[in-house]
Amino acid sequence: MLDIERIRKLVEMMVDNDLVEISLRDGDEEVSLRRPQVGVPGSLPQFSGGPYPWSPANPGGPAAPEVQPTAPPAESPAEQNPDEDLVEIASPMVGTFYSASDPESPPFVDVGTRVSRGMVVCILEAMKVFNEIKAEVSGTIERILVKNADAVEFGQPLFLVRPG
Amino acid sequence: MFRRILVANRGEIALRIIRACRELGIETVCVFSEEDRGAAYLELADRAICIGGAAPRDSYLKSDRIIAAAEVTGAQAVHPGYGFLAESAPFAEKCRASKLEFIGPSAEAMRLLGDKATARSLAKKAKVPIVPGSDGILDDDAETLKLAEQLGFPVIIKASAGGGGRGMRIVFSADDLLSTMKQARQEAKGAFNRMDVYIEKFIEKPRHVEVQILGDQHGNLVHLGERDCSVQRRYQKLIEESPSPGIDGRTRRDLCAAAVKLCKTASYSSAGTVEFLVDAKGRFHFIEVNTRVQVEHPVTEMVTGIDLIKAQIRAAAGEPLEFSQRSVRWTGHAIECRVNAEDPEADFRPCPGTVEKFRPPGGFGVRVDTYGHDGCRVSSKYDSLLAKVIVHQPTRAEAIRCMQRCLREFVVHPLKTTIPFLSRVLAHPAFESGAVDTGFVERTFQSAEAVV
Repeated sequence: MLDIERIRKLVEMMVDNDLVEISLRDGDEEVSLRRPQVGVPGSLPQFSGGPYPWSPANPGGPAAPEVQPTAPPAESPAEQNPDEDLVEIASPMVGTFYSASDPESPPFVDVGTRVSRGMVVCILEAMKVFNEIKAEVSGTIERILVKNADAVEFGQPLFLVRPG
Repeated sequence: MFRRILVANRGEIALRIIRACRELGIETVCVFSEEDRGAAYLELADRAICIGGAAPRDSYLKSDRIIAAAEVTGAQAVHPGYGFLAESAPFAEKCRASKLEFIGPSAEAMRLLGDKATARSLAKKAKVPIVPGSDGILDDDAETLKLAEQLGFPVIIKASAGGGGRGMRIVFSADDLLSTMKQARQEAKGAFNRMDVYIEKFIEKPRHVEVQILGDQHGNLVHLGERDCSVQRRYQKLIEESPSPGIDGRTRRDLCAAAVKLCKTASYSSAGTVEFLVDAKGRFHFIEVNTRVQVEHPVTEMVTGIDLIKAQIRAAAGEPLEFSQRSVRWTGHAIECRVNAEDPEADFRPCPGTVEKFRPPGGFGVRVDTYGHDGCRVSSKYDSLLAKVIVHQPTRAEAIRCMQRCLREFVVHPLKTTIPFLSRVLAHPAFESGAVDTGFVERTFQSAEAVV
C-alpha cells in the first residue's frame, strides 16, 4: 500500500527543489511523480475539482504535481477532513478569478478579513464580463483557495469562511 | 488546424469526439456537470471542466458557461456533439462572436434548414419533392381546414421548431383538426418556445431513409449515401442500416442528389443529414434536415471508411474536403443497434443505475461506441443510450447474423437493456426480408409478450 505521508513528503521535496520528475521503486511498488512545467506553451490550467484522484487544491503554491502510479494501483488518498465549521464560497460560474477590482488595487479580502453578507469577495470574469462575487455568510476569511488569474470551474471552492 | 477543442457534450459522443481529436493531435477539454463528475471517459480528455448542476439547463445548455470554459482553457473551437446546443443557431453565433469556431454549419444555414417550415419552402424551391402540405406556417383556421380537406385525412401537425421526433400530432378527421392544432401549438410553445406549426399529409407505412451530407467552407459538398432508420418506436430510432434494403438504385441516386441540391441551396457546410419518407410506391418526400452529426453516424463511417468527426473538424478548420463525390466508395453492409438502459418489458421505462458488469461484444467487423465500463453510472438525468453496437459485413444477411451474435455476447448487469428486444426485431421475418416501415415495431411488438 502506498504511503500517503511519504508521497506528501516527496511532493514537498519536488516543490522545494523545483524538480520536474521523480521516480521511485520499492520492491514491487512504483511511484512516478511529474510536475507540469509552468509557463510551457500548451500547458493547461489545473482544476482542483478535476477527475484526477490526486490533485489537491494548492493555495498560493506552484502547480501541483500529478501522481501517476504504476502497478499496483494506488489507494485513493485519505479524505482531507474539512473543518466542520468552515463554510465554502464556491464559484457559481466558469471564469477567471481576480482577487482585486483591478491590478492596481489591493485584494478585496485577505486571510483574516471580516466579511459580511453581501460583501464583494472577488471578481469572476468570463466573456469580458466582470462579475462581483458576494459573500453569503458573515464571518472571517480562513483560507483563500485560488490565486489571482486562476481559471475556475463551476462549483470550485474559492474561499473558506469561519462564520460568526 | 486547431490546437485545442472544447467538447461541449457528454457520454458516448463526447468520447467519440475526444478520440478523433487525439488522433488529429488536438488537445481536448471536456465539459461535465456535477452529475457526470468522475465519469471515466473524462479521463481520456486532456482536461475536464465542471460547468454546472445535473439538469441539462443548469449545465450542458448553459451556452455562456460553455463559452467561458473554452475561453479560460484556451480552446479555439467548440464541438457541440448532438442534442443539447448542437442545433442552436444563437449558440453558434455566440461562439463565433467570442472568436471560437463552432464545429458545424453557419448559423444562417442552421436557421434556414433547422426551421422545418422554412426548410420545406427551400426544398420546394429547389424542386426537391416534399410531403404535400401547407406552404409555410399556418395562421388561418379556415384556410387550414380547407387545406386539410384537400390533402385528405389523416394529416400530421408538426411544430416548426421541433425535431428529433417531437412536436408532432396526427389528426384523423376534420372534427379534431382545430382542437388538436391548438394543443399542438401549446405543446410547441412549451417544448420549443415557438407556437408555429404546419401540416403535411400523413404518409402511411413509410420507410425513413436519410442521406448523410458533408461540406467544407469552400463550397464543396458531397453525399455519403443513405441510412435506413425505419425501425423506430415512438419516433426514436432503434436500428439503423446502410445501404437501405427498401429502395432501388435509381431511387438511391435521386434521393442522394436531392439531398445535395437542397444543402447547396442553403450553402451548407460541415456534417448534416437530410431525412426523407419513402412511401409504399417508392416515391421519396423530404421531411427535415438535421444540421448536426447524428447518433447513427457510425453506420455511414463503416460503409464509406470515412471518419465523419475528423472530417467535421477539418472542415471547421478551413480545410477543403479530402475527397470528391466520385472518389467516395461504399462497401458491404452496416447495421447499428442502440442499446438503451430501458426495460422493454415495462414499456421501455428507463433503468438508470450502476452497471456492475459490462462486457461488450467484439470480433471481425464489430464496433462498439460507448461510455460504459464495469462500475459506470447510468444517470437518470440524461438520455438512456448506453452503447451503440455497429457491425460491418460483406452482405446484409451476414451483418444480421453478426449483430445477433454480438447481442448475445453483450452483458450488461444488473441494469435492464433493450438488448433482448433488439434481438427479437432482428429475427423477425419482416426485418430479415428488409420490408419494414416506421410503424413496424409498434404494430408488431405491442406488448413484450407479443409472439413474434
